Amino acid sequence: MLLNFNTLGSWKWFLIAVTTLTSAFLLLPILFIAALSFGSSQWLIFPPPSWTLKWYEALFADPRWLESAWTSFRIALIVTVLSVLIGLVASFGLVRGTFMGRGALRALFMTPMILPVVVLAVALYAFFLKVGLAGTTTGFVIAHLVVALPFSILALTGALEGFDKSIEDAAVLCGASPLKARVLITLPCISHGLFSAAIFSFLTSWDEVVLAIFMASPTLQTLPVKIWATLRQDLTPVIAAASTLLILITLILMLLAAALKKGLKA
Amino acid sequence: MVSTLEPQAKIEMARKRRLLPQGMGATLPALILVLVFFVLPVVALLTRSFTEPVTGLQNYVELLGSSTYLKIFFNTFFVSALVTVISLLVGFPVAWALAIMPQRGANIVFGIVLLSMWTNLLARTYAWMVLLQRTGVINKTLMSLGIIDTPLVMVNNLVGVTVGMTYIMLPFIIIPLYGVIRKIDPMILQAAALCGATRWQAFRAVLLPLAMPGIASGALMVFVMSLGYFVTPALLGGTANMMLAELIAQFVQSLVNWGMGGAAALVLLIVTLSLYALQLRLFNAAGQGRA
Repeated sequence: MLLNFNTLGSWKWFLIAVTTLTSAFLLLPILFIAALSFGSSQWLIFPPPSWTLKWYEALFADPRWLESAWTSFRIALIVTVLSVLIGLVASFGLVRGTFMGRGALRALFMTPMILPVVVLAVALYAFFLKVGLAGTTTGFVIAHLVVALPFSILALTGALEGFDKSIEDAAVLCGASPLKARVLITLPCISHGLFSAAIFSFLTSWDEVVLAIFMASPTLQTLPVKIWATLRQDLTPVIAAASTLLILITLILMLLAAALKKGLKA
Repeated sequence: MVSTLEPQAKIEMARKRRLLPQGMGATLPALILVLVFFVLPVVALLTRSFTEPVTGLQNYVELLGSSTYLKIFFNTFFVSALVTVISLLVGFPVAWALAIMPQRGANIVFGIVLLSMWTNLLARTYAWMVLLQRTGVINKTLMSLGIIDTPLVMVNNLVGVTVGMTYIMLPFIIIPLYGVIRKIDPMILQAAALCGATRWQAFRAVLLPLAMPGIASGALMVFVMSLGYFVTPALLGGTANMMLAELIAQFVQSLVNWGMGGAAALVLLIVTLSLYALQLRLFNAAGQGRA
C-alpha cells in the first residue's frame, strides 16, 4: 500500500510535490550561478540585462586565480597518489593480516573522517607552526592526506574483501612471485576500488576549505582559499564564473564515475 | 627443490616471505601518518587548554561560566537541531518517493541530489549568499508579487544559516533514508492494508517504526556534522548567532588564545564523540533487534 506508487492515492501527489520542490531547491541555485556567470550585471541582477563572457576573461586574466587553481590541482594530485598508495598497502594489511587489534586499527584510521575538521585544522596549524611546515606545500599535502586517507582505505578494504584470494594463490602456484601475483592479478581485479579511492581522495583535497584556510599563506593558496578570501570582500560575478567551472568539473567526474559503473555491470 | 613441494606448502612459504608479522607492517605507513599528524597534534592542542596560560582549569571556568560563550553553545545546538528537523521533514518524503518511484524519475532525482552534494561547498554557499541578499532574486520576486514592501533580511542571520546548512545536509539524510526504506518489504504494508489499516495507521504503526533506525542514524549524523560546521555559518550567519566552530577559529586566528581554543575544541570533540557512540549503540541495537 504505502510502498507501492500506484496504490498510494492522494499521498502520491504529496510525495511527488515534495520531491519536485526539493529537487528544484537543490538544483536551482546551481543553475542560477551558472546563468549569472554569463550575466553582464556587476550586482548580479537576475535575469541578467545582457549576456557576456567578461567574468571568465577576468578570471583567466588574473594570474592569482590561475595560480591558486594550479596549486589546488598540484596538491590534490600528490594527495591522490599518496592516499591510494598508503591506503592500498594498509588495506592489504587490514584485510589479509591476522594480527591482533585490526578492528581497532581500522576504527583509528576512520576517525579523521568523523572528527570536526575545524579541530584538526587548528591542531595541525599549531603543530605546523612549531615544526616549520605552516604555509608550505608539504603542510598542505599532509593535512589533506589525513582527511583523504579514510576514504581511500574505506574503498580499498571494501574492494579487497570482495576479491577472492584463491585467484591470487592460483597465480602463485603457477609460479608467479607473490608481488607479481598481486600487481598482475589482484590490482586489475580491484581497479574499481582503486578508481573510487583516487576520485574521492582527489575531490576531498580539491574541494577542501577549512584545513586549507589554516594551511594557506599569502603566497600559497588553493582555489577554495582564493574563493573564500574573495567572498569575504564582495560577491563579484568572477566567483560565479569560477564556481561554474568547478561545477563543470564535478559534473564531468560524476558522468565518468557513472560510465565506469555501467561498464563494470556490463 | 621448490617444485616438489606440496601446493599448500608453497603458498605457506610465499606467505612467510611477506614483510612483517601477518600484514602488520603494511599498515605502518598509514599508522605513522595518523599518529604523527592526527593524534599527536589533536592531543597537543587539547593539552594546551589545561596548561595555557597557567596549569589549571581556568579556561574551562571561563568558557562555561560566561554568558557570551554559553549563548554560542546554545546557538550551535539550536541551529543544528533546527537544520536536522527541517532536513528530516523534507528528506523523509523525498527518500520515500525515491524508493518507490518509477526508475527513470528516480534516476533524475538521484542525479540532482548527487550533483548538489558533490558541488563545491563554497560555490553552493556563494549561490545562497547571492540569492538571499537584499537585492537578490528572492526579495525581488516577493516584492514584485506584492507579498512584502521592504526587502527581508535573510543573510547574516538565522534564516541564512538555516537555509544554507539545510541545503548542504539534505543529501546526507535522503541517501541513508532511501536505503532503509528500500529494504522494507512492501508485503508488510500490504498485510497492514489487508488487516484493515488506513493509510495513516499503516504509516504510523508500520512504515515509520520500520524506518526508525534510518531516521535516527541519519538525523544524528546530520546533527553531529552541523555542530562542527564552519564555512556556511561563517559566511551566511551573523555575529549574533555565531557557532562553536567559528569560535574555535576565532580564538586561534584573531585572539591567538590557544588555551581557550583548545578548551572549546575539547567541548566540541566530547559532544561529537559521545553522539557518535550513541549512534553506534543505536545502530547495533537496531541490528540485533532485526536478527
